[in-house]
Amino acid sequence: MESQQEIIKVQGLVKRYGDFTAVDGSEFSVHKGEVFGLLGPNGAGKTTTLEMLVGLRKPDEGTAIVGGFDITQELDKVKEVIGVQLQSTTLFELLTVEEILYLYGSFYREHISVPELIDDMLLTEKKNSRIKGLSGGQKQRLAIALALVHDPQIIFLDEPTTGLDPQARRTLWDIILRLKDRGKTVVLTTHYMDEAHVLCDRIAIMDQGKLIALDTPGELVKNLQSDSAVEFRFDDEADVVLSEIDAVKQIGSQKDVHILYTDDLQKTLTSLIALASEKELKLVDLQTRTATLEDVFIHMTGRRLREG
Amino acid sequence: MRAYYQLTLAQLRIFLRNRQVLFWTLAFPIFLMIMLGAFLGNGNGISLTVALVDQEKSEKSKVLFEELKKNEAISLEKSSNEKEELEKLKKGDLQLVVIIPDGYAESVTAGDSNEPFKLPVYYNETNFAISQVGLQLVNNAVDTISKKQVDYKPVVVTDSKGVEALNLRYIDFLVPGIVAMMIMSNNMNGVAGQISSWRERGILRRMQGTTLKASTFIAAQITARFMLNGLQAMIVLGVAWLAFGIEVRGSWLTVIAFVTLGTLAFMAIGFIIAGIAKTPESAGPIAGFLSFPMLFLGGVFFPIKDMPEFLQPIVQILPIAHLSHALRETMNVGASFMDLGMEAIILGCWLVGAFIAASFTFKWE
Repeated sequence: MESQQEIIKVQGLVKRYGDFTAVDGSEFSVHKGEVFGLLGPNGAGKTTTLEMLVGLRKPDEGTAIVGGFDITQELDKVKEVIGVQLQSTTLFELLTVEEILYLYGSFYREHISVPELIDDMLLTEKKNSRIKGLSGGQKQRLAIALALVHDPQIIFLDEPTTGLDPQARRTLWDIILRLKDRGKTVVLTTHYMDEAHVLCDRIAIMDQGKLIALDTPGELVKNLQSDSAVEFRFDDEADVVLSEIDAVKQIGSQKDVHILYTDDLQKTLTSLIALASEKELKLVDLQTRTATLEDVFIHMTGRRLREG
Repeated sequence: MRAYYQLTLAQLRIFLRNRQVLFWTLAFPIFLMIMLGAFLGNGNGISLTVALVDQEKSEKSKVLFEELKKNEAISLEKSSNEKEELEKLKKGDLQLVVIIPDGYAESVTAGDSNEPFKLPVYYNETNFAISQVGLQLVNNAVDTISKKQVDYKPVVVTDSKGVEALNLRYIDFLVPGIVAMMIMSNNMNGVAGQISSWRERGILRRMQGTTLKASTFIAAQITARFMLNGLQAMIVLGVAWLAFGIEVRGSWLTVIAFVTLGTLAFMAIGFIIAGIAKTPESAGPIAGFLSFPMLFLGGVFFPIKDMPEFLQPIVQILPIAHLSHALRETMNVGASFMDLGMEAIILGCWLVGAFIAASFTFKWE
């Protein structure tokens, strides 16, 4: 890990909108050739961080070195080495897939072969179709193709799979993993746990503008120091001290849903049911599962990534 | 350079594929021109239909008929049924009915100047203005006959001379105005609407993420719009030529020069509006707020000299006034570019001023 080359170095980035601080002094590095995930709920500052790195927003404080260039000093050079896919971008709907790729290719000094890129992004059949008629997944693949057209070293993807059906998401995952195989560095934001787990080598968890954790997905889960989670509700308001339950290591509760983290699932369950019977409380929606990144997030912030 | 070419090409493709916009931006000026041209196009020529009821059918009555017929402004109908013609006059199908009763020839031949023959001429009072003109014309004809009869020699005559040696119709005035209007609305409203909508939809933002320069983007926009506008202006002029025989009397180069100046000036104003407008929805009304007064005050449909005195100074600084005036002078009178130096300077000032303002207000997002 230590020997890896830093391709992005973020130094104390701050972005404020009036009184609201969207990004509050982020510090992290991205290694060359890894898939780096920025994870957090809506409004955590992921997109703002990413937009500052690609030069769409000016940081109020701090800076970042991207591909060897300072984003506040040498933005033009930064733009040559990065490719960007933005959230909720629309394109010129009346142009065809092929036409818009040549158009975006012309914005750079050089571009890669457009027919190959179209094949690569599984858009061969659609190359003469207008953008208007593409499906959500096809549009998203086109957006990624546009980010790749000048063969950048670093690719920024802002919520690339939001709003896509499961099939289209998986196709996109394959594409992102292929980019990694080719030695590209990918920085993506997501609020999907499974996505972060499958794709990312390392994950930075953001909440309310602050970076609260950064590690590999495996390490993050391991740091919970618990293998399993027990989730349940009481059907009534209950005055129970959950920490008294046997083998509970950590408690993550939010609203009326309680989550107990434990290494000994059997002991915890038995003790929980005994407690409930004793206090004449009814358990609702009881389930057990292996601890995931979602639990890491709940544990760290007391909130879920996606409410509801 | 490649980006400039590709962006121009992309913009032209978008124009050509957006058939509806293409059609309606052309259909509106052409429709307006044909409608106004058909109603008002004959300019100062008033058409008069006069019925002559010849009850006598003599040599003398034929002379009167021929005299009336000489006047091109009158379309003469011969008839023998007096009642029917009077009925038509009431309905407004006719403007005048002249009746030549029995005894006309005899009285004229006798030539008793103490007791002249009274020729009955009926007119409809509800259509007063046109009836007066008609009566005047009939009077003239009758007068001519009287003078011949008495062998009258005039002592004083008028010699009317037109100052403009051209016979200009309203349509000649209208067509350059319509071209100016089209340049204004397509560029000012078009740029304002399109740029603000591209901004809203994040299209500009995405381009900002590339190494594309704003100046390249704007230059390509201008080029594509200029090509489209030039084409549209030529189509409108072509239709005007086919439908109304309007020609360009001056140099085509001058026309093209002013179409270019106008396109650039209004496009720059469009960029300012796009910069001010927070949403595409507000761009429309802002552009409308500016274009409507210009349509009516800027000499598109009515000559500026007909405007009230207090409006004159305002009217004189509007860019459309100078564009329509310059086009009119070139097309109707055949003025050269040098004659129109003042117009070119004023449009040039608008262009430079608007581009400076636009560069301060332009935002990618």
